[in-house]
Amino acid sequence: MSVLGANFRRDLDIRRYPMLIYVLAPLVALVLQAWLPRVLRNHVFFDLPLVVTVYFALGRRSPIQGTLMGAAMGLFEDALSHHAIGVNGVAKTVAGFLAASVGIRIDVENFNIRLVLIFLLSLLSSAIYVFIYSVLLGLDLQWSWFTELFKAVGNSLIAMVLFPLLDRLQIRD
Amino acid sequence: MESFFTRYRNLLVLLAILGAQIVGLAVQVRRTSAGHSTLDPQDAPSVRLIRLWANALVSPPERVIQSSTMDSGNLWQNYLDLRHVREQNTDLQKTIDRLRLEQAALLEDARQGQRLQALLGFQEKYIYTTVAAQAIGSSGSDQSRVFYLDKGSAEGLDRDMAVITADGIVGKIREVFPHSAQVLAINDQTSGAGVILLTTRIRGILRGNAAGQPQIIGILADQRIQPGEIVLTAGGDQVFPRGLPVGVVEKVVRDPERDSFIDVIVKSAAHLNRLDEVLVITSTQPRFSQQQQQDLATSEALKGTEAEAIKEQQKASQIMAERLPGLTDANLPPANPASAQPGANPPAPAPVPEQGTPKPLHPLHPDRFSPGSAPAIVPDASPKQKLEAPTNARPKPVRDHRTSARGGSATRPPQTKPARKP
Repeated sequence: MSVLGANFRRDLDIRRYPMLIYVLAPLVALVLQAWLPRVLRNHVFFDLPLVVTVYFALGRRSPIQGTLMGAAMGLFEDALSHHAIGVNGVAKTVAGFLAASVGIRIDVENFNIRLVLIFLLSLLSSAIYVFIYSVLLGLDLQWSWFTELFKAVGNSLIAMVLFPLLDRLQIRD
Repeated sequence: MESFFTRYRNLLVLLAILGAQIVGLAVQVRRTSAGHSTLDPQDAPSVRLIRLWANALVSPPERVIQSSTMDSGNLWQNYLDLRHVREQNTDLQKTIDRLRLEQAALLEDARQGQRLQALLGFQEKYIYTTVAAQAIGSSGSDQSRVFYLDKGSAEGLDRDMAVITADGIVGKIREVFPHSAQVLAINDQTSGAGVILLTTRIRGILRGNAAGQPQIIGILADQRIQPGEIVLTAGGDQVFPRGLPVGVVEKVVRDPERDSFIDVIVKSAAHLNRLDEVLVITSTQPRFSQQQQQDLATSEALKGTEAEAIKEQQKASQIMAERLPGLTDANLPPANPASAQPGANPPAPAPVPEQGTPKPLHPLHPDRFSPGSAPAIVPDASPKQKLEAPTNARPKPVRDHRTSARGGSATRPPQTKPARKP
């Protein structure tokens, strides 16, 4: 009964969007992530694909969908770089799964909780990236925690603007 | 069993996707003989296919954004440019006149340098053809300093072609697609370019660090390297032609891993963070104009004629040396054995032209230390006789000392020619 109750509550809270949004939002995130660093002189203190992944994972509240979306976004990011394909994929797969899993249990309508969540998941994604690249693959990588911290803050700032914008696009009964 | 998959469906999907990606990562990384892990410099076909898909998805919107941004920006920029254009025209005309004079002088120097290098047999590379391209996007990650061009294999681009700007080198093409290309910038951690410091002539490898700054690694600590020194391409990496500007030395820091080595941080000449239009060097064959090629052919022909003349001279010298055995081998046995016996009169020497005989200069005021004034050695003479020997035992003058050498005599008769005034 408790399981049925949880599913019922989750089904009530699942957000739905037009199909165009499901296609356009990730694509725009990938394109802007690739194009904006040129405008901002290579200061990449944000990760738009991660922000979009976390947003849809929290809204859809489906770990499988969050996992698939995170994997797809991460693989596309890897494909645009010259690194091994799969490093970002694993990091964003885990982030998408955790965001959706947490979204079932907590109230994601609270704006502050979503900001804290995106901040923590950004740090986790960076940690997984560094772990896979340096430890699992044994490749030489120089990195700085300050950069990753700035990136997490940047993602939170972007989420402050992007989440309310995407909330307006959802289908309301 | 069904309930297990239903209950742990989410976790199983996660593990399956993670496992598939980790296996894919393991395939892309290989271990070198030194025990280090490294990525394959050339992607496998499956990996390349994924990159191609991602590029096909992202490049067209990037191209549209880039062109629309440039158009809207140009509209305002054109208005600004029209202001004060007359004064600028006058200034530019003066500059053009000055540059024309400089260009004429430089062109002459360049032609001379090219001819000389060709004659010396240098395999020098010259930039032959370039393709202008527009930077349209990046990787979106600060760990991967790559960017994309709006030209690809359809426009003649290929892997490992050098990408430059008017200021200096930018990077090399890492991957090429039909209508776009991925460029690995020189400030990436996995890049590598052979460079040389202009003043100290120290060579090294240029690569990027975590902060995105190009640095020269693997050089021994040297006090001569000072900030401001110019860095050029060395030309040994088969990518960048020799002598292209790279940047200037910004500072020198110690290598954190090796004590006796230093890292030279370089301020790149090209603005790597503000790249718009770049040039791709598509061919590095020697570039000479029609006139220069004719000059080179003429020089080569002249060089061949001179070489033949020198060979003829050497051949004539050898023939002459064979006819003059005293010059070739002084230890040869005498041609007539009788002449070698003691007491026998040596045969009259053959007349030899004097122009080839080295002779000591005669002193103006000869004394007993002067060459040729020393007394001949008399083996059985007493000390008194030895003292009187200069007046009594002076042999007959010989015309040429080579005859005595031929006869095997140890003594060398002095020459009695009068000293010539200079």
